[in-house]
Amino acid sequence: MRISEIVKELNLTVLTGGDFVDREINGGYVSDMLSDVLANSKKGNIWITLQTHLNVISVASVKELSGIIIVKRRKPEEDSLKKAQDEKIIIMSTDEDAFHIVGRLYELGVGKNDEDI
Amino acid sequence: MNIHKVKQIINAKVICGEDLLDLEVKMGCGCDLMSHILAHIESESTLLLTGLTTPQVIYASDALGLKAICFVRGKSPGDDVIKLAKERAIILMNTQLPLFESCGKLYKEGLKGISENEQRSEILKDSRTCL
Amino acid sequence: MSKEVRSSKIQELAYECKVEEAMTADIVTVAPSDTMVDVWMKLKDKRISGLPVVNADNLEGIISVEDFIKCIIKGRKDEQVKDIMTSDIKFIYTDEPLIHVLKKFEKHKFGRFPVKDRDTKKLVGIITKGDVIRCLLNRFEKDYYEEEAQKNKMCNIFKDIKADKTTILLKYDIKGKEFKKAGEKSSFLKNALLRLGIATDITRRIVIASMETEMNIIIFTDGGEITVSVEEDKIKVNAVDSGPGISDIEKAMLPGYSTAPDWVREMGFGAGMGLPNIKNCSDEMKINSKVGEGTNLEFIVNI
Repeated sequence: MRISEIVKELNLTVLTGGDFVDREINGGYVSDMLSDVLANSKKGNIWITLQTHLNVISVASVKELSGIIIVKRRKPEEDSLKKAQDEKIIIMSTDEDAFHIVGRLYELGVGKNDEDI
Repeated sequence: MNIHKVKQIINAKVICGEDLLDLEVKMGCGCDLMSHILAHIESESTLLLTGLTTPQVIYASDALGLKAICFVRGKSPGDDVIKLAKERAIILMNTQLPLFESCGKLYKEGLKGISENEQRSEILKDSRTCL
Repeated sequence: MSKEVRSSKIQELAYECKVEEAMTADIVTVAPSDTMVDVWMKLKDKRISGLPVVNADNLEGIISVEDFIKCIIKGRKDEQVKDIMTSDIKFIYTDEPLIHVLKKFEKHKFGRFPVKDRDTKKLVGIITKGDVIRCLLNRFEKDYYEEEAQKNKMCNIFKDIKADKTTILLKYDIKGKEFKKAGEKSSFLKNALLRLGIATDITRRIVIASMETEMNIIIFTDGGEITVSVEEDKIKVNAVDSGPGISDIEKAMLPGYSTAPDWVREMGFGAGMGLPNIKNCSDEMKINSKVGEGTNLEFIVNI
């Protein structure tokens, strides 16, 4: 599934990195703790979070995540948006809460293949 | 849905509150940030799913009147946290599933996000204050 | 109260109230060998619409006024109960919520259900739609009076004490950087406010704002004090610390803005929602802060 498809299905707003909407998504990860994302997320995961500060971009870049969805209308800081542009990270925004967005992504088939249980 | 069903859907183990599993929850919230929980959860019938196992999770949940918390990614709280939860009659559970899959499966089975129920929770809030 | 609000309150009660509360425990029964005339006499006498059929303590079936009417039409009033009764019994347990009963009434179209005790498996009562409705209405009324009493209780603290002004003061010392206990004092405050009879929704707002205040003192300073003043018409919370102070208060009030270090974020704090949360929960909020000297935050919630 591509980012462009979820942008359409979930009515997401692309804040930066619109050039990368064709990226493939490989599963999803939701967490607001950077140490956890660093330890447990996988390459290509779409990351759902409330966090908006600069380090979020570094983590997404290091882990080669496909993109970031920021929930509950939170606005990333200016530096974060600029860094995202430099690191070629796509950031999207939604008014919905994480539980709802994850539920919808799961319905669309994101992450159903990499269940361990 | 009640906690028995939640337990089944995400294959969770009960850590404390075994006798309270008839509790009904109508919404789910997957979050690790205390301030967000305090700012956005309106209804007491919300199940909190989190990877954070600190005492603050119990204090924040108690402030909101939440009665059920599920730790994800196989996280287990310490005895001090379990004690705080028991004192407040809060159910603690954990699942090996990551937060993404836990939320996904529960959503699929009918548990809604907090935004979807903001309208309903407004009505319930009114019903408590204007009786 | 609007219809919507009333019906959602009743819905809530349907989840909360149990069968035990609504059922009729004083059960009239018939035996399988009794005749339909015996059934009719009991139904008429007790003005009920159905009876459980019991043989030596065992529930064997259920018989209703509809069954009796069908018998009369077919001219079979001397038939024995055991030949007419419904043996495929659907029953309910005492500890089930009323919402389950309502759903069963919908599904099975029966007029009543026998009630069993989950542990002893013995027949302990019978429940009809009328029982359910009566119970919900009684509870609805009871809750209303309790809410009114709660409001009175709170007013009474101040009415019973003769003074020109009465204030109850609660003081909490907050130790800086003691993360393990962050939130504990607000938890004590919650219990104190409920004990004083402050309404749950007011208590909730105060406790949320207090928790954010407590976190801020613990994260950013070496310690401070939170004083809660409970007055007749409002609750005032004053927090003071001699920490680093807030250099840009306006910025600090923006949701998402945080000066918390990363390791604090890893503990679930520092999301930058603290001050905005306090503002949203309170009716009035004032901050005074001087860099290098400390911060004084005050918020008020009207009762």
